[in-house]
Amino acid sequence: MQSAPEKSDLNAAGFRAAILDPVREKPATVEGPRGKQAVKRFNVYRNNVTVSLINALADIFPAVMRITGETLFRDMAREFVRAHPPVSPLLFLYGHDFPAFIEHFEHARRMPYLADVARVERAWLTAYHAADLEPLDPQALAKIAPEDLEGAMFKPHPATGLIRSPYAAFDIFDANRNRETIGRIDVTRPQDVLVTRPGMDVTVTGLPQGHGAFFASLIAGDCLGDAAEAGARASSAFDINEAIGGMFATGAFLSVTTEQT
Amino acid sequence: MTKATKTAFSGAVLAGAVAAAISGAQLVTATDAAAANVKCYGVAMAGQNDCAAGPGTTCQGTSTVDYQGNAWKYVEEGSCASMELPGERMGSLEPLERDMPS
Repeated sequence: MQSAPEKSDLNAAGFRAAILDPVREKPATVEGPRGKQAVKRFNVYRNNVTVSLINALADIFPAVMRITGETLFRDMAREFVRAHPPVSPLLFLYGHDFPAFIEHFEHARRMPYLADVARVERAWLTAYHAADLEPLDPQALAKIAPEDLEGAMFKPHPATGLIRSPYAAFDIFDANRNRETIGRIDVTRPQDVLVTRPGMDVTVTGLPQGHGAFFASLIAGDCLGDAAEAGARASSAFDINEAIGGMFATGAFLSVTTEQT
Repeated sequence: MTKATKTAFSGAVLAGAVAAAISGAQLVTATDAAAANVKCYGVAMAGQNDCAAGPGTTCQGTSTVDYQGNAWKYVEEGSCASMELPGERMGSLEPLERDMPS
């Protein structure tokens, strides 16, 4: 009886590389009973690995698949899987590079919004698995003296993700995930999308004009005064009351600090 | 970066916004948030979060065969045709060949 090969042996024998590359020969260390060739056996395994990774992407990016259709999606996913195999055995961490891959995928070029929809979907799953932490209590902000508010800085909640898209990423995501029928969507309307998880449920919010710049500034660590200015610069419709209300309603932040503390 | 930078948003304006937000926010916290903290299984819309935790968290059969085919002839089977790109081509997949230089 042979002992099971160590992980490093599998790598050295080209097992890992051969699994995702159909052109490569079966690794020499893999053989059937009584030293028989095991090409078919290896191909079964090879198939299952590829299919399961494609299925994983289909589970993470259902809206993208609905937009492209299953055939294109699986072809695109297969190329991605081969070029970017998982680096973690935890499959819910997979696919962070998929949006960038989509951006350069020849057959998705006529869907320029697709990568941003994928970014929203990846942020959704990241938010789902983020640490369970209570978002910032609005009262913590009420306790800060008015003269210190401008310099207040916020730490984002671990679930928080912001996607700033030149396309209607929110409308497209929402329609393809949540609606049975999809009307016509003008994709050229730029939209900023905030993904948060205030409780146990992931929340995806299409932000009003100017709020994308406001949240981006806060997430980058700028103080509240600068973030408000960034929002106002981005849109004349920017409303600070609405923006601060949005900070609490979405639960995008974890804690606040002022210069005094 | 600091409060030394004077902005159009004074402390009073920001404090007013915070106060206004809190009166609204408390309504949300008191009702919805408590309910949202209970995970509900089995009530999700299909395709949305019936496998909300994502791949690798359930046992998936892999009976599908990966044909490894690169046909690149995509029929319009997705919803991409609903996405309008004014002034450009629509999201449709079909015109692939029409775009080819002759």
